Amino acid sequence: MKITLVVTGRSYHLTKNIPSQLELDAGSGLGEAISTINDHLPTEQPLPQSCLIAVGGKHVGTVGTHPPTDLNDGDELVIIAPVAGG
Amino acid sequence: MTLTPEERDRYARQMGPGVLSEEGQLRLKNSTALVTRVGGMGGPASQTLTMAGVGRVIIAHGGDMISPDLNRQVLGSESVLGKPRAPHFGEYLKTMNRFVEIEAIDHEPDDEEAEQLATRCDIIVSCPPTFTERLRLNRAAVSAKIPFIDAAQWGMAGTLIVCKPGETACLQCAYPKAPPFEEFFPVVGGISAAIGAMAALEAIKILSGTGVVLFGKMLSYDGFAGRVDVVDMTRNPDCPCCGNTSPSDA
Repeated sequence: MKITLVVTGRSYHLTKNIPSQLELDAGSGLGEAISTINDHLPTEQPLPQSCLIAVGGKHVGTVGTHPPTDLNDGDELVIIAPVAGG
Repeated sequence: MTLTPEERDRYARQMGPGVLSEEGQLRLKNSTALVTRVGGMGGPASQTLTMAGVGRVIIAHGGDMISPDLNRQVLGSESVLGKPRAPHFGEYLKTMNRFVEIEAIDHEPDDEEAEQLATRCDIIVSCPPTFTERLRLNRAAVSAKIPFIDAAQWGMAGTLIVCKPGETACLQCAYPKAPPFEEFFPVVGGISAAIGAMAALEAIKILSGTGVVLFGKMLSYDGFAGRVDVVDMTRNPDCPCCGNTSPSDA
């Protein structure tokens, strides 16, 4: 199945090699999606644990803390890296 | 309290269909907002709230102004370099609206002071750079059961989270653990102004009872990528900050 991936916020410059459409096995969940994304990143720089995750416009948790979440073909996964500055 | 003829004249552009009702403008006049800090985002936020006629605007910001501040801190100027920010920022805000009371605190509130300030306010607009301060203000808002707007920025991106304690997710629901903070964060003034102004607009809507407020949502504006996302935030029933908080009786 295919999902749309958006990575925004602070870490976008680390993610330029991640495709905007992610191919996953049917029945994959959020955990598999995060692993697939990290496969495109340097080993020493995976997605930060504090990145907020939204599936279909709904916040489900962070990269480090999220409940098991099913994904469906066509879902949009938005990963918002935390921003901080004043 | 009513609006004086001079105040009606001042706010003539923002009273009427599609903007504030007279009752809404009066509600602003009778409101108190805390904005801290008042640098990149807090400056435009406090400026907007002052110009809109929020009755009392309390600002807090420590330290002296330095040159890198002037790429975004609109309350400052060349003449404030090397001088304490808060008193100068407060005096500048006073020149924007004589009908509004400005209270300037020359330091960032600690836990105790944040709690005390929250009891005097109707809303907190949180614009500090660190998660430590943001989570502190969040706790104070939850404790006082007042609306809390978290504004944040980095580079050309920013986020806004609008919280109603006891009803929506709070900031700690979003960030159970404070993420690491980058001391020398990059920022372009345009995102500071955009996020700060949007935070103030949400505050104006809340205080005046106007429009549809982004309660329970995170607005993410990625100016670098040209993308806006609005996410429905999920409240954590076990949140150590707001898990046991019921809605305000107000």
